[in-house]
Amino acid sequence: MIQINYRDPRPIYEQVKASFRQLILSGVLRPEEKMPSVRELASSLAINPNTIQRAYRELEQEGYICSVPGKGSFVADASDTAAMRKRELVVRLRETADELRKLGVGEDELADCLIGGKGND
Amino acid sequence: MIEVNSLSKRFDETQALNSLSMTVPDGAVYGLVGPNGAGKSTLIRHLVGIYRQDSGEIRVDGEPVFENPAVKTKIAYIPDEIPYWSQSTIEDLKRFYASVYPAFDQEYYQKLSAQFGLEGKQMLRRLSKGQQKLASFQMALAQRPDYVILDEPVDGLDPVNRRKIWGLLMTDVAERGTTVLVSSHNLRELEDVCDHVGIMNHGKMLLERTLSELQENIVKIQLVLPDGKQLPDDLQIQYKNTVGRLQQLILRGKQEEISAKLAESEPLFLDVLPLTLEEIFIYELGGTEHEIGSFVL
Repeated sequence: MIQINYRDPRPIYEQVKASFRQLILSGVLRPEEKMPSVRELASSLAINPNTIQRAYRELEQEGYICSVPGKGSFVADASDTAAMRKRELVVRLRETADELRKLGVGEDELADCLIGGKGND
Repeated sequence: MIEVNSLSKRFDETQALNSLSMTVPDGAVYGLVGPNGAGKSTLIRHLVGIYRQDSGEIRVDGEPVFENPAVKTKIAYIPDEIPYWSQSTIEDLKRFYASVYPAFDQEYYQKLSAQFGLEGKQMLRRLSKGQQKLASFQMALAQRPDYVILDEPVDGLDPVNRRKIWGLLMTDVAERGTTVLVSSHNLRELEDVCDHVGIMNHGKMLLERTLSELQENIVKIQLVLPDGKQLPDDLQIQYKNTVGRLQQLILRGKQEEISAKLAESEPLFLDVLPLTLEEIFIYELGGTEHEIGSFVL
């Protein structure tokens, strides 16, 4: 379900986190769907179970998943994930805007892009 | 838990281990790394009770290992060179293991041998080096050990079998809380499986950390500053190299904090990366210049 990229410089737990975040936000993993167990992932990816535990713990703190004692972890419900998706897109938009500023695009031009985008909808 | 306290061992002129101490917590996957001749295999042979130390203490589960069968039955060991009897078959070897290790699990053994595709009536000496390793893995895992001690375990194995082996070991860690100690030069692989790392050199333990401590408190940075701007002066710079306008730095500290600090000097280009275990190893042990040596310590 998820892949570890050995050329990716990020630590493994970050990669596990990012992959699941993406699967949840893009809707591949549906709200309330069961997450693979720590044991399953440790065997199939051949990585340390503590690493996966840590990724799950942080995903839970960030509200992407919730764990039910004795049953495993589940994807959090839809309203939460939609809010999260919104937050993520805003961050991405800011990053893009920053990059555009560095390239010499002025504030007015940036604003035009956004308003123009709305008009095109 | 494996505890080693001021362990020393001399072979004639060579001081192989020099007052070495280490701790492997229960359930840890501990990667033992160090340059060739650092004393890793010597240390491991002490941990499994093959060598008797000149001085110092080794305790596994709180008990000394040397000449202590009760403790040794909890330990599975795979040496770097496999010294199996040339006249035996895999089946003979299994019978031997089953007679020595009380927890030997026949059912699990069958599953493993189906996975590895080795036939019981094959002669050990007819097997390739990699197949011999697989045979010893199936013996070791079927022992249902509390401790698995591996010296260069995946040497000679193909990528499919390497993954199989690590997968099986990680399953064991997740299900049974097995403690694993593994020495290897394949740091890329250790990074996936280990949560603790011990770096040794010249018979001593240079540092022992959890992998996350090691990786999260040190970052590699590439940046270009605009003309006239200086680096903030409260950075803990461990290493610095300048190529044209590009500065390459290794800094101690958390990634986010460093990025925030550097943002103040409005860099034209900034790339913040965590250090891989391999880089830590090279900077720690490979630096011929004094300034590169021992920055993690």
